[in-house]
Amino acid sequence: MPCRATERTCVALIGVGSPFGADRLGWLAIDALESSALARRFPHLQLKFIRSDRPGALLIEQLRTVDGAVIIDAMRSGVASGAIQTFLPEELARESALLSSHGFGVAEALALAAILGELPDQLLVVGIEMGEEVSEGSLPERVIEPLRKRIEALLSSIRGDGAAQRGR
Amino acid sequence: MSERREVPITVPLLARVEGEGALELTIRDGMIAELKLRIFEPPRLFEKFLEGRHYDEVLDIVARICGICPVAYQMSASHAIEQILGIEAGPWVRAMRRLFYCGEWLESHALHIHLLAAPDFVGFNSAIEMAQHYPNEVRRGLHLQSLGNELLRMLGARSVHPVGARIGGFHKAPEQQAAAALLTKLRAALPEAEALLRWVCQLPLPEDAQPFISVALRHPHEYPFNEGRLVSSAGLDISSDRFQDYFRESQVAHSTALHAHHYPAGYGTGGEAVPYLVGPLARLNLNHDRLPAATRQLLAECGITFPSRNMFHSVVARAAEIHYVLLEAIALLENYAPAQPSYVAARPKAGIGYSCTEAPRGILWHRYELNAQGVVVSATITPPTSQNQARMEEDLKRALTTFGLDHDDNALRLRGEQVIRNYDPCISCATHFLKVNVARE
Repeated sequence: MPCRATERTCVALIGVGSPFGADRLGWLAIDALESSALARRFPHLQLKFIRSDRPGALLIEQLRTVDGAVIIDAMRSGVASGAIQTFLPEELARESALLSSHGFGVAEALALAAILGELPDQLLVVGIEMGEEVSEGSLPERVIEPLRKRIEALLSSIRGDGAAQRGR
Repeated sequence: MSERREVPITVPLLARVEGEGALELTIRDGMIAELKLRIFEPPRLFEKFLEGRHYDEVLDIVARICGICPVAYQMSASHAIEQILGIEAGPWVRAMRRLFYCGEWLESHALHIHLLAAPDFVGFNSAIEMAQHYPNEVRRGLHLQSLGNELLRMLGARSVHPVGARIGGFHKAPEQQAAAALLTKLRAALPEAEALLRWVCQLPLPEDAQPFISVALRHPHEYPFNEGRLVSSAGLDISSDRFQDYFRESQVAHSTALHAHHYPAGYGTGGEAVPYLVGPLARLNLNHDRLPAATRQLLAECGITFPSRNMFHSVVARAAEIHYVLLEAIALLENYAPAQPSYVAARPKAGIGYSCTEAPRGILWHRYELNAQGVVVSATITPPTSQNQARMEEDLKRALTTFGLDHDDNALRLRGEQVIRNYDPCISCATHFLKVNVARE
């Protein structure tokens, strides 16, 4: 069901990536979250599980119709493979927006969305440190558990009367 | 007044293009002494990857050449291989291939106009800066781009490197319900495409008419996607299997991408080799009469006469083509019914096949040789950006000279980049491209 067609608050869990190598981490995270009891634990929320294939600026289109969003992407920061880090959009380092379209990633899309007033009220960016042992098959429990807890904490803070809030 | 000096000007990384390249410019005694578009992305060797692969694998491999125009690579390969196998895919597949191409032109052109080109004409360095003053225009662009991607997903299962196409047609026909839902969205977006074309027409585009040869496909009745004869504004009219009789690629030291030249008198006849233009402006110059009446009417209101010799009008051509593909996609979907099967089966056969289709950036020529087992013996892929490189260098020399070489380095860099962006070069495709270095001596 389209998000804005519901009375419930709509939250998108968006895995950003591609079908290849460590770039799959965001999608693997969505696989794990969708098969968990997350939707049953938060019946007052409409959760959308989205595997977003190298969306570039089109990430904005995916944020436009939701009340909240968690964006999960692979990261390389030098910490231990599989480690989880959370960011606010403004904490993400942007490439120069002058560079090629190949450099238009999540940070640039969120910066453009902010200017267009298209960021949802609740937004969290989650990075999963890449590494060979977490990039194949399904994500290990040591990655899923802290990820699920962090997302549950965010979902617990979101009211369920999305339609009423939208009407404000 | 020109100075007797030599000054190097460098744009070390070209901005707002698809991929990475550079421009090096040396001005000596007030004239351009040297100008090089330097493409330094590594060669990608796709033609060699294809050797030894069965024809069934080709479409998934060539789709990886580009994230923006994968459909073009799949379509040129499909037609060339089907020519070898001796199969006709039939009217349903033909219509769906046109629809697939509509999606690709829509997403590619909308991305280029709004995120790459438009900031040049309204005085901003980036789409992010432009969005503060033109939020509705940027939103409109993103929406049109997303509709293009939806079309690609419907037929290709995903919008980046789609996997839905196969030799003979498509793995799966879209559901009637999905096609109907997308038809509703496309109809609703038609006023946005009209507004976009009107907006682009009133942008303060520089005047810079230049002589050049336009090359594009031309179909007896349709604006060209997959079929037609290869024609030029200089009178060429050939079938695509004769491409190499009139067009040849060659290596240049400063680029990992091949340059292409046109031999109007035929290659090997001793006649001259000239740069030529492919892409939206070339297509529109040669096919204006094939556009629907509604698109032609909007262009007439625009006040620009086509054929145009001003490369800055390419942004108008792209907006006109967005309007066209929306109309075409709507017409194709209004008559949609799923086909079963959604492809024509084929058997391996030895032979050589050729095809040329219209990628968003211009003609994309493929040649394949298969053995009796259907395995690729050799493959040649000539992408549009390679074909435009010599024309871009020629355009830059004229355009920067007309602009005035006594402008400061920053102004020259910006104008140089604007000229290059008119071509929407897809550098990753061409490596088989931009930083700008300017030297004043």
